[in-house]
Amino acid sequence: MIREGYRGLVASLILAYLLTLMPLPAWLDPARPYWVALVMMYWHLETDRLRHLGHAFALGLLLDVLTGSLLGQHALGLVIINFLIARFRSRIRFFPAWQQALVIGALLFNDRIVQLWVIGLLDRGWPSWSWWLPPLIGMLLWPWLFLVLDMMRQHQRKQ
Amino acid sequence: METAGIRAVAAGTARLMFYTLLAIVLMAMDYRGAYIQRIQSAAGSLVEPVLLLVDWPISGFRSLALTLKTQAELSDRLDRLQREQMEMAAGLAVVDDLAQENARLRGLLETTQRLPYSMLVAELMAVDMDPFAHRILVKRGSRDGIEIGMPVIDALGVVGQVEQVYRYSARVILLSDPDHALPVQVLPSGERTIAYGSGALDRLRLTDLPMNTELETGQRVVTSGLGGQFPAGLSVGRVLEITRLPGQPFATANIQPSAAMTRNRHVLILTEAEAVLILDDTAPEEAGETALPEASLEQADSDQASGSSPTRPAQENNPDGNRPR
Repeated sequence: MIREGYRGLVASLILAYLLTLMPLPAWLDPARPYWVALVMMYWHLETDRLRHLGHAFALGLLLDVLTGSLLGQHALGLVIINFLIARFRSRIRFFPAWQQALVIGALLFNDRIVQLWVIGLLDRGWPSWSWWLPPLIGMLLWPWLFLVLDMMRQHQRKQ
Repeated sequence: METAGIRAVAAGTARLMFYTLLAIVLMAMDYRGAYIQRIQSAAGSLVEPVLLLVDWPISGFRSLALTLKTQAELSDRLDRLQREQMEMAAGLAVVDDLAQENARLRGLLETTQRLPYSMLVAELMAVDMDPFAHRILVKRGSRDGIEIGMPVIDALGVVGQVEQVYRYSARVILLSDPDHALPVQVLPSGERTIAYGSGALDRLRLTDLPMNTELETGQRVVTSGLGGQFPAGLSVGRVLEITRLPGQPFATANIQPSAAMTRNRHVLILTEAEAVLILDDTAPEEAGETALPEASLEQADSDQASGSSPTRPAQENNPDGNRPR
C-alpha cells in the first residue's frame, strides 16, 4: 500500500527538476513555471505524500544546489507553501478546478513575494515585470498538470 | 477534541518556525560564505550527474543540428572564419612585435618578465541556472586541472572567476554578481578602484571614487592585477556614467562590461595566471604614475600578479589597437 504510486512520485519529481534546469530560449525563460512547487503541491493535495515541512525543505535544498541560488532560498519558499497547503488542504481539495487553480496561483504569487524579500535583502536589484509571470503560467497550467498526474496515478493503480 | 485541533495547529506553526529559521540561518551562512563552502561543494558533486544529464541530450541535439547543416552554410561559415582569422593574424603580428619590444625594455629595466599564461577553452553547459544567482556552468572540471579562483574570460573581456570545481564541470561566478569585486584600473588616467557587481548582467558599479576623479564616460576599464587573482590589463568594460551626489563622500560610476557574460557558448579559463615572481623593483606601468598615492605601495603586488600572455595584454593596452568586433 505504501509503495503504490511511489514510482510515479519520484518520476514526476525528477521530471520537475529536469524541466527546471532545461535551457530555454531567452524570451521564454522568464515564463518558466515553478515546476517543483507545482508537483509538490499536487502530491500533497491529492495523496498524503510530501505533506511534511521537512519534505519541502529537502526538495528546496536540492533545487538550491542545482540552480546555484542561495542555499535555503527555495527551501524557505517551499516550506511556506507546504505549510499553507496543510492548513487549507481539506478545503482546497473540494474546490472546482478553476477555483483550485486560483488558490494555487495565489500560493505561487505569495512564494514570489517571499523570494523577492530574500533577493531584496541580498541587494540583487529589482526584478523586471516578468518576475510575476511564473505564478500566472503555473496557475494556467495547474488543471492540465493535475489531469496528467491524476491519469498517471490511476494507470499505476490498475497495474 | 477542540484542544487537540488547537494543539495540532500550534505544532504545525512551531514546525514552520523551525524550518523557516533553519532556512534563514542557512542563507545567512551561505551569504557570509563561511562554513557552508564545503557542504555546498560536496552537495554539488552529488548533483553533478543530474546537471550532466540535462546537458547531454541538448548538446547532442546541437551537434546533430551542426552535422545536418548544409554544405553551403558550412563553407560560408568557413570562409568568414578564415577571413576573420587572417585579420586577427595581421593584428597579432604587430602585437607580437610590441610584446618583444616590451620584453626587451623590461629586460633593460631589470624588472620581471610578463609570464605567458595558458588558456583552456570551456564550453558552457546547457543548464539554466537561477537568473538571480549570476552563475554559469562550464564543462571543465578538476579533471582538466581547473581550480577555484581561476579567471574566466571571453573574446571581449573578463567574465568572472571559477567559484566551485566538480569533477567534469565547474561553476563560475560572474562579475555582475553583487558578491563579486574586481580590482580595476581606468585608462588612460590609470586610476585604480574596485568594480562591484550590480545584480544586473549589463552593469558594474564603481562606488568609491574620489569626488575629484578624472573619470569620463566612454573610458576603458581594465583589470589592475592587484589582488593577484586576475592578470593585469584584461578588458573589463567602458564607463557609462558618473554620478557625483553632493553631500556624499564618494562619486560613483556605472560600467558596461565588455564580455558577453551568459550569452557565450564558449569561454576561456586562464589556468596559469597567478605566476608569482620575486621582484626587486616597482616598475611604473603604462599609466601607473597618476594613480592614487596608496596604490604605489601595492604596485609590487600588481607586477607580481601580472603573468600575462605575450599577445593579449599588449593588445589590450594599446589604445589605438583596432580590435575586430
